[in-house]
Amino acid sequence: MHRLLVAMTVFTYLFILLPILVVVVSAFSPTEFFVFPPPGLSLRWFATFFGTESMRNAFTLSIQLAIVSSILATLVGTMGGLYIARRRGLAASILQGIFLAPLVFPAIVLGLSLLLFFKLLGGMPAFTGLVIAHCVLGMPFVVRSVAASVLAVDPVLEEAAQSLRAGPLRGFALVTLPLIWPGILAGGIFAFILSFGELNAALFLTGPGISTLPIEIFDYLQFSVGQLVIAAASALQIGLILIVVFGLERLVGLARVVRS
Amino acid sequence: MTKLVMTRRLASFALLAPPLFVSIIFFIVPLGLLFWVSIHGSSSSELYSDQITAENYIAIISDSFYLTIVQRTLGAGATILALCLVFGYATAYVLAPLSPRARLWLLLLLSLPLLVSNVVRAYGWLTLLGRQGLVNVVLQKAGAIDAPLVMLNTFQAVAFALMTIMLPYMVISICNALATIDSYYREAAQSLRANPFQTFVHVTWPLSSPGVASGMLLVFLMSLSAYVAIVLLGGPRMKLLVSLIFDSAATFRWPLAAAMSFVLLAIALVVCALILMVLRPQRVQGRG
Repeated sequence: MHRLLVAMTVFTYLFILLPILVVVVSAFSPTEFFVFPPPGLSLRWFATFFGTESMRNAFTLSIQLAIVSSILATLVGTMGGLYIARRRGLAASILQGIFLAPLVFPAIVLGLSLLLFFKLLGGMPAFTGLVIAHCVLGMPFVVRSVAASVLAVDPVLEEAAQSLRAGPLRGFALVTLPLIWPGILAGGIFAFILSFGELNAALFLTGPGISTLPIEIFDYLQFSVGQLVIAAASALQIGLILIVVFGLERLVGLARVVRS
Repeated sequence: MTKLVMTRRLASFALLAPPLFVSIIFFIVPLGLLFWVSIHGSSSSELYSDQITAENYIAIISDSFYLTIVQRTLGAGATILALCLVFGYATAYVLAPLSPRARLWLLLLLSLPLLVSNVVRAYGWLTLLGRQGLVNVVLQKAGAIDAPLVMLNTFQAVAFALMTIMLPYMVISICNALATIDSYYREAAQSLRANPFQTFVHVTWPLSSPGVASGMLLVFLMSLSAYVAIVLLGGPRMKLLVSLIFDSAATFRWPLAAAMSFVLLAIALVVCALILMVLRPQRVQGRG
């Protein structure tokens, strides 16, 4: 019985890791089409990637979008997390529900509703629209991780600040913030990664000439075949995420991120 | 009221206002607007026509084409849930008794792919399952098959790929639930001469059901809106509900797309309620 379970565990890991490994390996392929085993290593597809204007633009736009939307999501989400962390009762539960809903809400419906909303307002520049959508989608990650960090802080410390007549801002800056910043950072980085790979809302909000990297990859896969430049684009996606995660590990430690 | 209390009230209002503003203006209001559009007729010049009607919903319910797709969406969801439950539970069951450190690293290995865009993960399966993909090549070299298998553009490919994309959520939530079960409970069952099967059915499974429930909710909700994987692995003819929403929007039939979104949300609500009813996680927590 136990052998069967271990075999299934091995399959679980294969199912989850194999598609990503195959993409990374094929990105370094020297041949026109992916053959296994690869006859050598080359960076030609990365050169093709940066030589293709639409790809390069999509890559830059995705990074800009991820930076702007995650900073906004971090600012607003930190406020939300601080507000709901220590409050109990019906109003607080409702607020928590509203703040966290986008975590599980079908993003395709959010994308469509925002598109119609922007159309009714008389149009919205594509980049602003994407920033708004990704801010809404990224905010819950920050709210959740900030609220969890606040709950881990001993309330006595904040009360001590209050009893010393520190105002709310001073109390926050001198006591709470130094204790919860890993939570803020972890939430913000999640919002960044989410924005960098997000597809379903972006499908509705990208326009001609304004495309994110995942959407560009998707378009390419739909309309042209066998191009390993997509593998290079995907490998860049994975590479950037690894860099960000590694940075997070150095700054905060990943153990707390998995637990949250 | 002292000045300090005033400042505190003001500060807590200032804290709440921005996130509440974002949630209301960019999440709740657009959703309300979407519903408003869904109960109007379509118009060639505007987003929707003036008269209020239920025709979009009636069209979805009465058209056998749409009904087939709703059925297929539910079928795909059920398949994904069943596969995720089997593989997710087995993996969590193997990982849970490991040392916290080993468990952490093994779970981390599973969670990293969640950070990679779904289009990349679907592309990986595209490369693996294609006519000249790795799976066909390996099977042919091993002599298991003569001609390459056709795996892409099938319901099975879509369900399987979506299952693997959602599987980490399932493993993580079940594993967290299993790891918190006190081993005394299992030992107590064994000392009462329960065999391993009885111990699992009466002790381990009920205690892990909150994790199973939250994993299933996540997996189902995520799989409902996985448009890109469905297009890439299912081809142009494998449509699920989410593809219809996108197709209707691409042809500017906004009211129909809006109505389909609410059918999707209704399905999400009903299935989530069913999962919670069957697994009843709160009952277990209540016993504490």
